[in-house]
Amino acid sequence: MSHSELASIFNKNEKKVDWHDKALWFVRHKRDLSVHEVKGWEALRNLGHGIKAHTLSNLDNYLIEFEANAIKNDIQVHWAADGDEHNRIVHNIIKESNGKKVVKSKSMLTEECHLNPFLEAHGIEVIDTDLGERIVQLAKEKPSHIVLPAIHKNKHEVDKLFQEHLGTKPCDGDPQYLTGEARKHLRQKFIQADVAITGVNFAIANTGGFVVCTNEGNADMGAQLAPVHIACMGVEKIIPKQEHLGVFLRLLARSATGQPITTYSSHFKKPRKGEKMHIVIVDNGRTEQLSRPDFRTSLHCIRCGACMNTCPIYRRSGGHSYDATIPGPIGSILSPGKDLKKYSSLPFASTLCGSCSDVCPVKIDIHSQLYKWRQIITKETPQPFVKAQTMKIMGQMFSKPSQFERVGKAVRWSLRNLPKSVINSKLNTWGKARDLPEGPKQSFDQWYEERKNNQKD
Amino acid sequence: MNSRDQILAKLKTNKPKLIDLPLIETSIFRDEGLDIIKEFIKKVEVVGGNVLEVTSNQDVINKIESTFTNQEVCYSHIKGTQGFNTISLETIQNPHDLENLDVLILESTLGVAENGSVWLSDQEIPVRVLPFITKHLAVVISKKDLVEYMHEAYSRLSGFNYGVFLAGPSKTADIEQSLVIGAQGALSITIFLKQ
Repeated sequence: MSHSELASIFNKNEKKVDWHDKALWFVRHKRDLSVHEVKGWEALRNLGHGIKAHTLSNLDNYLIEFEANAIKNDIQVHWAADGDEHNRIVHNIIKESNGKKVVKSKSMLTEECHLNPFLEAHGIEVIDTDLGERIVQLAKEKPSHIVLPAIHKNKHEVDKLFQEHLGTKPCDGDPQYLTGEARKHLRQKFIQADVAITGVNFAIANTGGFVVCTNEGNADMGAQLAPVHIACMGVEKIIPKQEHLGVFLRLLARSATGQPITTYSSHFKKPRKGEKMHIVIVDNGRTEQLSRPDFRTSLHCIRCGACMNTCPIYRRSGGHSYDATIPGPIGSILSPGKDLKKYSSLPFASTLCGSCSDVCPVKIDIHSQLYKWRQIITKETPQPFVKAQTMKIMGQMFSKPSQFERVGKAVRWSLRNLPKSVINSKLNTWGKARDLPEGPKQSFDQWYEERKNNQKD
Repeated sequence: MNSRDQILAKLKTNKPKLIDLPLIETSIFRDEGLDIIKEFIKKVEVVGGNVLEVTSNQDVINKIESTFTNQEVCYSHIKGTQGFNTISLETIQNPHDLENLDVLILESTLGVAENGSVWLSDQEIPVRVLPFITKHLAVVISKKDLVEYMHEAYSRLSGFNYGVFLAGPSKTADIEQSLVIGAQGALSITIFLKQ
């Protein structure tokens, strides 16, 4: 289904849409308050952009450097060309350590590779330990936001879900009680786990270490207890030096939730005594995205979610309407690179207002890339008949000023005189959920001419 | 070709021409009038922690014992406070045995004013899971060990095998955006500031 079709399902519950819209705008507002406190914020964003651009232009060498240093640190490094290979590698590591129970902290990459169903099919229990991710896992859904995975669910739904799966008491959706019960439930899972899987926020080439950021402490509760730690990362997570963390850790949490830093920014470099540590480096379409000059900066993304919180379309259509691992504006420029046909409606899920680019901590020109994908998609994928014809007619009309003027006159008259049933007919998608304005008597040209003449007098 | 070589070859072909690495000029971020200690205290409170000023390690113990009464399992890793400990780490076979830890006291030698975080590395954490598995965490830090920004913090860091910037108690807002303190990690954090 297209984005607009899925969005119309989400839009059926108007109260929920309203809540979703306001909740995310509140997060965006917290981001503003937080970044305005930082002196030199724009310079910091420029640095973020510049460091990422440099790294991508030398990515092969930085990965080689990272691998060599990681091996020196007693970390085993694996490489996966695609999601399938990634899943096989992770499964093999678990098998070799006779693991049956896995705890996993948030990792959009493992979502992208569909790791959970793969491991479950091989009889391995995988527990998502971020509270939001655990909620959507119990509901057999996917995260609808990369930082706030369960933002589409209200507390009463969580209450019901926990009663059903964790045996909690009815509590009228009390978040404190529900979080406390989840804590007890997840403690058991942490204690029993054979293997801990985490994502990677930043991997540092010159030290061979990597950083994982969480607010809940779930990455460390997993990784510091289980005898095996597997960290999965996309090739683009590399930064050259440790000092660059100073830039990115200042940018990340402020952009994501307005916090000055996440509660835990854990720096893993060597496994603890008696533990095994693995890193899986994954391509899965990233090298191809790097080959596209117009779109390669989409690989700068540090997964803060700010573009989602600010997007008027995302806030009112919900993350699931994108039907992609990464929803929202950034997802809409990443996904078409993976499957142009499947994701052909996503670059159109935007007003091109540019708010996403304004808040992006690493200055990705998201809205220009949305526009550029539209150019490609319109040429390469079949467009709906009505849209294609309308565009053709519009193109002809706009090409001749005299014709434009004549049509304009007719439309202004129609808006004033025709009944609403005709104006808002099925063909006019703009009239679907709104009334069109009353047609003015003058065109802008006429008004301008008249004004000029009056000034002469 | 194996996946490693394949990926590296593709990156080599597909990457753009080398772009210069920008230098980090930290002077543009510096706020000359900033009171580091005041800012640090403010930010620790913003991220949900408490700050208490103390004169000695014994003072830390006294204050903890009056705040957290009747705690069963306690461990302190700061000098001269062995009397506080109810467990010995030597007898801990496995990090899982720390599951019932109530109060933990650690020392940090680096705190960051702009975000209220303290740095804890394996030099300060005898078992890595400690600051996460404990119910209540206390961190002692000297005022002289506070820096303004993350840039200064990183210029002081080297030679660790594991370390964490820790800011406030563990928290989540995953249920309807309501902030709940105490997710999977510590339920509270108290920073003890020494002269």
